[in-house]
Amino acid sequence: MPTTVFCLHALGSSSEEFVGLRSRLAGTLDLVGIDLPGFGTSTAATGTTVEEMVVLVERAIGRSGATDWALIGHSMGGKVASVVASRTVDGSNGLFGLRAVVLLAASPLSPEPMDEERRQTMLDWASDGEIGPDEADAFVDANTASRLDPEPHAIAVHDVERAVPQAWTDWLVRGSREDWSTVFPPNPVPALVLAGAEDGDLGPEAQRTLNLPHWTAGEFDAVPDAAHLLPWEQPDAVADRIRDFWHRRVDHGPLVPAETARVIASPRVSARTRGILAVRALPDAPDREPRALTREQLDTLRAVARVVVPQPGDRHLDLALRVDDQLADELGDGWRPDGLPTDVEAYRAGLDALRSEAAQGDEHLAGVLDAVTAGEYTPTTGPLDGSQLRAWLEDASVDLAKQWMAHPATMAAVDYDGFANGGDGLRKQGFLLLGAGEREAWEPTGAGR
Amino acid sequence: MRLDHQRHHSEDEVVDVVVVGTGAGGAPLLATLARRGLSVVALEAGANTDPEQYTPDEVEAPGDINWMDERISGGSTPTAFGPNNSGTGVGGSTLHWGAFTPRPNQHDIRLRTDSGQGEDWPIDHAELTRWIEQAEHDVGVAGPAHYPWDPERRYRMGPPPRNASSDMMIRGAAAVGITATDAPVGLTTEDRHQEHHGLRQACVSCGSCHQGCRNGAKVSMDTTYLPAAVAFGAEIRAEAFVHGIELDARGRVEAVVYRQDGRDHRQRCRTLVLAAGGIETPRLLLHTGIANSSGQVGRNFTAHGATQVWATFDESMRSYRGYPSSIITEDFVRPTDADFAGGYLIQSLGVQPLTLATSLVRGGGLRGAALVRALQDYPRMAGVGINAECLPYDDNRLVLADEVDANGVPKARVTFSPGSNEEAITRHAVRTMTAIVEAAGGTDVRVLDRTAHTVGTARMGTDAGNSVVDAAGRSWDVPNLWVVDNSVFPSSLIANPALTIMALSLRTADRLIRDDASADREQAATAVA
Repeated sequence: MPTTVFCLHALGSSSEEFVGLRSRLAGTLDLVGIDLPGFGTSTAATGTTVEEMVVLVERAIGRSGATDWALIGHSMGGKVASVVASRTVDGSNGLFGLRAVVLLAASPLSPEPMDEERRQTMLDWASDGEIGPDEADAFVDANTASRLDPEPHAIAVHDVERAVPQAWTDWLVRGSREDWSTVFPPNPVPALVLAGAEDGDLGPEAQRTLNLPHWTAGEFDAVPDAAHLLPWEQPDAVADRIRDFWHRRVDHGPLVPAETARVIASPRVSARTRGILAVRALPDAPDREPRALTREQLDTLRAVARVVVPQPGDRHLDLALRVDDQLADELGDGWRPDGLPTDVEAYRAGLDALRSEAAQGDEHLAGVLDAVTAGEYTPTTGPLDGSQLRAWLEDASVDLAKQWMAHPATMAAVDYDGFANGGDGLRKQGFLLLGAGEREAWEPTGAGR
Repeated sequence: MRLDHQRHHSEDEVVDVVVVGTGAGGAPLLATLARRGLSVVALEAGANTDPEQYTPDEVEAPGDINWMDERISGGSTPTAFGPNNSGTGVGGSTLHWGAFTPRPNQHDIRLRTDSGQGEDWPIDHAELTRWIEQAEHDVGVAGPAHYPWDPERRYRMGPPPRNASSDMMIRGAAAVGITATDAPVGLTTEDRHQEHHGLRQACVSCGSCHQGCRNGAKVSMDTTYLPAAVAFGAEIRAEAFVHGIELDARGRVEAVVYRQDGRDHRQRCRTLVLAAGGIETPRLLLHTGIANSSGQVGRNFTAHGATQVWATFDESMRSYRGYPSSIITEDFVRPTDADFAGGYLIQSLGVQPLTLATSLVRGGGLRGAALVRALQDYPRMAGVGINAECLPYDDNRLVLADEVDANGVPKARVTFSPGSNEEAITRHAVRTMTAIVEAAGGTDVRVLDRTAHTVGTARMGTDAGNSVVDAAGRSWDVPNLWVVDNSVFPSSLIANPALTIMALSLRTADRLIRDDASADREQAATAVA
């Protein structure tokens, strides 16, 4: 089933603007537009502040039942998407399953750079209680690199006309000016930040400096021959970039099964634990440069990982890359074997010693590792002797095995739901049924083993 | 825990007592001294945590409540530190402990008299039991209505619910003629109003004791003794790492130096109590070079044999649910067919997944397809484990390493090699445990070797020449320096240590207030006679 992508539109627009992307990405992604309050077919009654828009979106995602989803945010919708993404990865909004974010000419979490004269002009349009056809037309033209074809142009103009003036005004007066940039830490969700090459205040420079730094796994691209209304202007180019990003960067590694994802999202799990699992479930970056090891050492560790923890199935974690992160962040286990250098030095030395063995294939390496553990192997290069290499290999094997077990998809595969033993209520749920073969009503049905 | 309303002492004030460490060794003493009106300050290296924020996640939880500063572990069987046995934070290791609370029996503290090996404790068993009962009363311990190996014993609360592993052990033990029953555990199995703290909710069988108890059910010092201490005027300073002890011209402690917020502080005191645990207490003593005329500081490091035997069952066991170790047998305290000194306790085991993965690799030597298969068997696995006597050996010791930590203090380097006695116990226990799990219907039996707890390293005794402190916990060398934690244990006991540490803490507080060294030493001489 394709991943659901919730699409948040720009000021004066609606979910209509994603129609082109939706048809182009069908089969890869299932795009679902959400009309923000006061736009499209949504009433403004639920409130038009940034926070109220965020809550509306979160409720819509929760109601949808999606357990595997992504966000696209365009302009104003980009700010909303950024907040929703942050409240998802910190576990606080009760959602789980966010895999990626795409920002299109997005308004940043910080105050949006906007020419004050232009802001005033737009406010004036709405001051009489409605945005007229000429005003709407002027708005669309001002935000496109060249005039849209008649049909999309008419829809875009119609969306502006039907915007509720209060929603329009609230964004221009407050929402666009609110500074949310210090509320959340940088976000590790894979993000594609796109700019229209000919956009103004929110063009490539603004995207690179105001949006990209918030996304620690973000990448940037500019779409030629487009200004601000990217989905209307260049649906092919935008869809191509999203599709490539999805296949290359996001759609690999194990997926958390829907039943388990629903449990993680449930009130049985604390916000903190949900956030921990949300970050851990994010896909590895296949081409990321190692942080603590060299490229060669990382590749050797990948070979060791294949031998030590041969993962079932065809969607594997990059355990070696995760251990590299652990080493770079100096997250040790509180001790190290006597005679070994520090963790990262031991890894470098151990992997250098095994490099030529790993080059001869996994089967050969497996035999070598057995010999190392049996005390029958003497390294030919590097500072470690046989017993030091054996001690390091045991440490490294523990690290790799723990990285695999810690992933929520593995937890689901081994029928573990012990993370769902208490939410943030006054009373923790724990477990009531403890006996062999017993299973509570909320529990996933298990892996059938 | 709430510290915002606590009394504050100035660093220039000469407080009556400074206590280093707020775990099972420091907290009961702190509460006792505060209640008696002494001015007391506790210095805790770890943070003051909010139990509500603990997480069952095994990757993140250690950063909250385990001592993760690096230690170096050597010997033939290096003992694992970190989440395996080392705590930190206001409450110390009671934040992560398993709450298994067997009492030490009279054989344990008469090991040398009984077997000619190990050491006796210089304490009368009846007196120790009185302090144990006091601690049990103070913190709330649950247990069975009838305790087969000590029929006089009473517990005020019923035991926690049994899980699949518990049922398995009961079934297997019965089939091979071993008596087993619900274990004594430091849990409140019913809502309990803890004086000076508030409501501790009944245990909900969440299974995450080792990751920190979020509802106050598990006994920990920050929900029991420490709130009482603060209520009576004690001050607890968190994230305060002690690295210096200053003596006056007469060789008495006059101040301690600690690092907090990136700078050194100096707290003056009349008496100093070290309760930093079996690693940090000797490390501090060796670093400061005091109280070691015997040369015994750091020696006799012992780690309980904690070998586990797991088996796979036809049914889904999922033994991560429920209190992890709810069944005990004391039938092997002194096995009749023993070819070793001492004995062992057996408990049922629940386990969280990363802990199991670690044990399968380190203790089970698994790799590759066999490792993945074993981990996939996790939901159908259940097991039993031991806590076994470990004899003190002079050369199993803690020394200072050449490299230093972030505070400039040399890291601890621990060497641990079990001897033939430990190996004999393990062989016997593996036979027993294998019989239990197989009789319960288990197949694919796996033996996972491991050790637990950090014991010894500053032992008490009746001879100043071969012990660090006297039987009351008072240093032989520095008259106003005391030690009370697992480092003072002369022998390891087969009972898990925390309850005994609490009892010793109450006892040392009593002796400290009485302040009569000769009476203490006379009493100890009588106890070992």
